[in-house]
Amino acid sequence: MAKTKYNDPKLEEKLRDRKYYITDSNPEFLKDVERIGRTIAHMCFQCGTCTGSCPSAPRSSYRIRLFMRKAVMGLEDEALTDPDLWLCTTCYSCTDRCPRDIAPTDVIMAMRNLAARRDIIPRNFLKTTQLIYQTGHGVPNNDVNRAARRKLGLTEEPPTTHMYPEYIKGIRKIMDHYGLKERADRILAEGE
Amino acid sequence: MRQYAFFLGCIAPNRYPGIEAAAIKTSRNVGIELLPLNGASCCPAPGAFGSIDLKIWYAMAARNVVLAEQMGMDIALICNGCYKSIYEVNEKLKHNDDLRDGVNEVLAEIDMEFKGSIDVWHLAELYYDPEIVGVKKLAESVTHPLTGARIAVHYGCHLMKPKKERHFGDTEHPMWIEELVAALGAEPVQYRNKMLCCGAGGGVRGFDLTHALDITNEKLINLQEAGADALTEVCPFCQLQYDRGQIEIEEKFGVTYGLPVLHYNELLGLAQGMSPDELALDLHAVSVDPFLKKIL
Repeated sequence: MAKTKYNDPKLEEKLRDRKYYITDSNPEFLKDVERIGRTIAHMCFQCGTCTGSCPSAPRSSYRIRLFMRKAVMGLEDEALTDPDLWLCTTCYSCTDRCPRDIAPTDVIMAMRNLAARRDIIPRNFLKTTQLIYQTGHGVPNNDVNRAARRKLGLTEEPPTTHMYPEYIKGIRKIMDHYGLKERADRILAEGE
Repeated sequence: MRQYAFFLGCIAPNRYPGIEAAAIKTSRNVGIELLPLNGASCCPAPGAFGSIDLKIWYAMAARNVVLAEQMGMDIALICNGCYKSIYEVNEKLKHNDDLRDGVNEVLAEIDMEFKGSIDVWHLAELYYDPEIVGVKKLAESVTHPLTGARIAVHYGCHLMKPKKERHFGDTEHPMWIEELVAALGAEPVQYRNKMLCCGAGGGVRGFDLTHALDITNEKLINLQEAGADALTEVCPFCQLQYDRGQIEIEEKFGVTYGLPVLHYNELLGLAQGMSPDELALDLHAVSVDPFLKKIL
């Protein structure tokens, strides 16, 4: 039996685009998200359990279900440039409740990784990495705390990279392997 | 004495050192010796590092795990955020060859190799495990029971969730930390939406403080409604969000709660007879005195 056709070349061409005619859809986006997030985002059937479980949803325009849809539809630019992407507290409530066994939280993490490749990263994230590059700690020691530690009978510096700064060299090598320090410096300088 | 490499993280040793002091002392009283993990760093922060590049997060966390592998000891830690990084990366690298190979390529540059030879535990789960400590032995270590204190529990997110990558079972209505609280002679209090996040994670505290505090505020409303004398948790980052957050909420929203927030190890310290000075409770932003008056 011959396949039914519309006999309308323009419509046939449109329908070959499986992404519902959206011309800026990138089918590679879903693959990237699934590979980085190690989760089956394409299984999403838009039930909304994720948004219903989300602590950020009631107090912002952030909708995890919308990001799930954008992953499936390949709306890369829309998803990656939306500042709501950074309102996920990564509480994993959506992941625990997802009836399709997807990890929407890890979809968000993957999208953040992809946004970061475009240098879209909020400053506080970059500053934390810089502190770790300098000291090994995201929240380093200070004088008030040193005095308190002494009173408690602890060493003024904890036995971490603070007491053994020779270990910071290894940390820097790992971060430099990915060029993170240089990138953080450049992006932060642009915003000064 | 069971020995563990004690992974400190950042906020406990550098903001609430009483938690570190208490963890070492109180654990010794129940047969656990915590040994320093020399040269450990930030876990690193799963929100900050994971969001930028998960591969860097794996490699940085693996470095901390390898330090413990070199000691030949399991890791014990006291922070849910650290648990997310150290436990999860350890498990992921153990079970995924592709990830492990990628990480080991980078670690080779600093003469390290991830072998997958140790396990990672939160101190709280070691306390609960009857084969390690157990509630009964924990209760026997109490010399100054916290009688009359009504204490609510904040579980935090990254210890038990996502549940399919953990081993704690139910994440909707867990009760095991309440059992640990009851072992100290205190009365555990239930409140609305107990499993709601503190609001700080995922980099949100740094990205949008008001948004993060609004979540914290919802928790505090529910805690106040339940009439808790104090809130306990097993995560110094949640503690920071609730403790300093209450001051920030006062400034931004004009609401005062005055709810003391104590890490479970600080409570255990008090119950084992440690003084408030030995726990540096004066470093807390919200005064712990009303709670101390109730129990001392």
